[in-house]
Amino acid sequence: MSFLQPLLSGILTGGVYALAGMGMSLVFGVMNISNFAHGDLMMLGMYMAFFAFTLLHIDPYVSLVLIIPTAFLFGFMVEKLFINRVIHHPHQNQILLTIGLGLIMSNTALLAFTSDPKILTTTYSSSAFNLPGGISLSVPLLISFLITGVTIAILYLFLAKSRTGMALRATSQNREAAQLMGINVAKMSAIAFGIGTALAATAGALIAPTYYIHPLAGHSFLLKAFTICVLGGLGSVVGAGVGGIIIGVVEAMSSTYWSTDWKDVIVFVLFLAVLLFRPQGLFGKKGGE
Amino acid sequence: MKKKFVSIVTAVLLAFPLLAKAAPVKIGFINSITGKEAQIGENLTNGVTMAIEDLKAKGIQVELVKEDDGGDPKNALAAYEKLATRDGVIGVVGPYTSGCANVVASRADQYQVPLLVPAAAKEEITMKGYKNVFRLNAPANVYSMVLMDAVKAFHPKTIAYVYAATDFGVSTVKTAQDNALKMGLKEVANEKYQQGQPDYRPSLYKVKAANPDLVFLVSYDADAILLMRQAKEIGLTPKAFLGAGAGYTTAQFAQQTEISNLVVSATQWTDDVNWAGASDFGRRYKAKYSKEPSYHAACAYEAMRIMVETASKTRSAAKLRAALKSGSWNGILGPVKFADYGGFTNQNNHPMLVQQIQNGKYETVYPSTFSKKRLIFPFTR
Amino acid sequence: MKKIALSVIAATAVALPIFIGENPYLIGIMISVLMMAALSSAWNILGGYAGQYSFGHAAYFGTGAYSTLILLTLNNSLNPLFCMAMGIIVASIIALITGSIVFRLRGHYFGLASIAVAEIVRLSVLNLEFTGGAQGILLSDVSLWGIDLNSKNPFYYGMLLVLVVTLSISQYLRTSKTGYYLQAIREDQDAAASLGINLAFYKNKALLISAALTSILGSLYGLYIRFIDTSAVLDLRLSIEIILTAIIGGVGTMWGPVVGALLLVPLAEMLRSNLLGDVLVKAGLVSETSGIGVFLKENLAHAHVLVYGIITVLCILYLPKGILGLFRRVK
Repeated sequence: MSFLQPLLSGILTGGVYALAGMGMSLVFGVMNISNFAHGDLMMLGMYMAFFAFTLLHIDPYVSLVLIIPTAFLFGFMVEKLFINRVIHHPHQNQILLTIGLGLIMSNTALLAFTSDPKILTTTYSSSAFNLPGGISLSVPLLISFLITGVTIAILYLFLAKSRTGMALRATSQNREAAQLMGINVAKMSAIAFGIGTALAATAGALIAPTYYIHPLAGHSFLLKAFTICVLGGLGSVVGAGVGGIIIGVVEAMSSTYWSTDWKDVIVFVLFLAVLLFRPQGLFGKKGGE
Repeated sequence: MKKKFVSIVTAVLLAFPLLAKAAPVKIGFINSITGKEAQIGENLTNGVTMAIEDLKAKGIQVELVKEDDGGDPKNALAAYEKLATRDGVIGVVGPYTSGCANVVASRADQYQVPLLVPAAAKEEITMKGYKNVFRLNAPANVYSMVLMDAVKAFHPKTIAYVYAATDFGVSTVKTAQDNALKMGLKEVANEKYQQGQPDYRPSLYKVKAANPDLVFLVSYDADAILLMRQAKEIGLTPKAFLGAGAGYTTAQFAQQTEISNLVVSATQWTDDVNWAGASDFGRRYKAKYSKEPSYHAACAYEAMRIMVETASKTRSAAKLRAALKSGSWNGILGPVKFADYGGFTNQNNHPMLVQQIQNGKYETVYPSTFSKKRLIFPFTR
Repeated sequence: MKKIALSVIAATAVALPIFIGENPYLIGIMISVLMMAALSSAWNILGGYAGQYSFGHAAYFGTGAYSTLILLTLNNSLNPLFCMAMGIIVASIIALITGSIVFRLRGHYFGLASIAVAEIVRLSVLNLEFTGGAQGILLSDVSLWGIDLNSKNPFYYGMLLVLVVTLSISQYLRTSKTGYYLQAIREDQDAAASLGINLAFYKNKALLISAALTSILGSLYGLYIRFIDTSAVLDLRLSIEIILTAIIGGVGTMWGPVVGALLLVPLAEMLRSNLLGDVLVKAGLVSETSGIGVFLKENLAHAHVLVYGIITVLCILYLPKGILGLFRRVK
């Protein structure tokens, strides 16, 4: 089998991971919070895409125009109502709060949508582009990869050029100083959490046509999102993008050339190695803790 | 005077069973209502609910105590102990998962409250000689045996395994490897995966490269759809896909015709089998829950029916155990008898069925005594 | 006064099985309470006193359980206490390796790294053959000095003993040099280092003590339940439950974890077994056949994890220092 096949398919899968990691990284950077509800926010995105498809007959990729603002508002509200109140509390309290919120979200979904997995089957769910050399690329993964690329570009421009984006970056670099400079850091936190939620939901919606939708479906991505954040450097959006692709490729390569059941172990070993030898991550700021 | 007293006592004693009969019989039901196995747990709950309704219609009153184990053996044990000591039930149906069933089964002889396991597959559960543990469904080894028997006539040469790293996955594949060895099948790939991954393509590429005649799959619910989608995407086309139970036997899977057509799977029950009341149960289940019944639902229904009918006649745990041991039943799962054979104790020697998805519908194709349709071989897209 | 209170608590704990008598269900719940109290207290030595929040303590619990059951499956005549000791050794080795990696990190990184180590242990156990892999390990009957290990009382007293030992170590640490150093590390690592405290040594010491105690509890649990698999003893959920118990009771206090366990374990069981719904119905507050009654009966069983989540959120928001923190504030 060609070496290119696992490489390309790993890159495509990594795109979705990247998006999941990016939202978490932004929240990390601006708010200094590990968000354990991130997987559950992804799950909400999956259900939104599913219902947009089955009830409103909107293609899951098109439905992003509805999902992104809805998820942003939801995240904004969650931050205002809950997270905001523990922003000065110890890390472990923040973590447990997000775990509690995650439990509430996943179990409410369990009550509302039952535990039957929902399958979103589009016309292109199992179609592939066949390239020369016997290489095939999944159509839905390719589309989501392109959308991920566009999302990263927009987010990057937003953070680099817009006033709010700059304020977000300032808050991320030094919360106290930002406050002294007249930035409304509380608002920035809510915006960051809103964007983080929107990114998580987008990742969920993008993966929905090739995955299954279930109240606990986000959990598989939670630890991956953490790994990606650390790999790319906590708070670094571009880093998370690269980190996601690295994880995707490492997984594909290790299942192809070694063993499928050990691939998660390899990812965690890589994670520890990065922590040991480059704790700021590949693209992170120094001394982030 | 003495005579009168004796006759009064006798009359009271004689009337006592009649009086007692009016009170509902108390039965426990341990199930995974929450947790990872909640989806299958819901099917069991539905089956049990229907059983209780049918029993009530027959005039048998039941007081059912439902317990959730969340898939955690510690909770299942607490639930069983609560049922046995606090609620005073005389029999328990459940738990669903093999891990929970294992733990509860090992304590059943201590509390002497009969346990009827409806759908857990792990062989060990009825292999330890427990007197109070009964199992309705066929254990893990039968899944692979019946599948391989079904395709034996076509003389396949090679086999590849793709399965979830779960108890059921590993147990089933181990027995499949034994059966494959006996049939002279050569193993060309063995891919164990962690559940819930979005990308199984690397594993499937390896299988495709090995070009096996048979691909033997064990996956839960949605993973099955994911795997078959990706198999189609990369163009993996063996002579047969053999799915062992679980994810390959759901209605949802059958509906995905472009990926599921002609997939062969092993099941404990189908609604077109000629067992008494099977098709009627299927029809009523569909009407009530607006979805196809899974074999878990049928197993739970039958387990609860057998448990309650027997318990309502016996009214004590000890007599219930004896009655379960000696009795025989006939219902939607065919003839049921808890027998000791081949290392098993109180195990119903249930014949499993092989079904194939033909035009979006499960058709029973093996064994021929139970089937109307024939197996289509080889697999084509 | 304090001494009297302590002796009353101790006497009650020792005599409890006699009062309860033949009620395996209640004793079973008490065993879970004692186990969670001890687990959370052991975690508290590292998390509460040294301020190193490990999110991977399931690794040590699982190591103890697995070591013991693997050895006993190989040779049923081994002394369970010997197997327990082997568990401690394996857990200590994992703790030392973990310590050497994660103690270089701080804050978020430490917590995340501890999860990574625990996941590596979990996945390795799942993938290896001699650990029983995904099939788990089922243990047949074992005995120790002729004591019937099928009954619950030995485990009740076993868990109680480990809890007492853990609390004694906690108490000792609070007043010893090591304890002061650990607290200094918790308050300000850089300041502690500049005072000449060997950070790595004391953190590793706390981790080792904590891991060894956790491993013993894992061994006891394995002997008690006699069937283990990775989802029961190595799951991230367990690590989180341990921390949650400590936080709700009061992190860094000696009795906080015990209070947390006394509250959370029975609560979880009440929610699981739908006792809450039953009580409401029995008290006549809700009719069994009314809409609300049916809803409670049908849905509360499905919703108990949801209720657990809501309680977690409320506790973090309104009792951030735990229940004992509340009392301290009143004073």
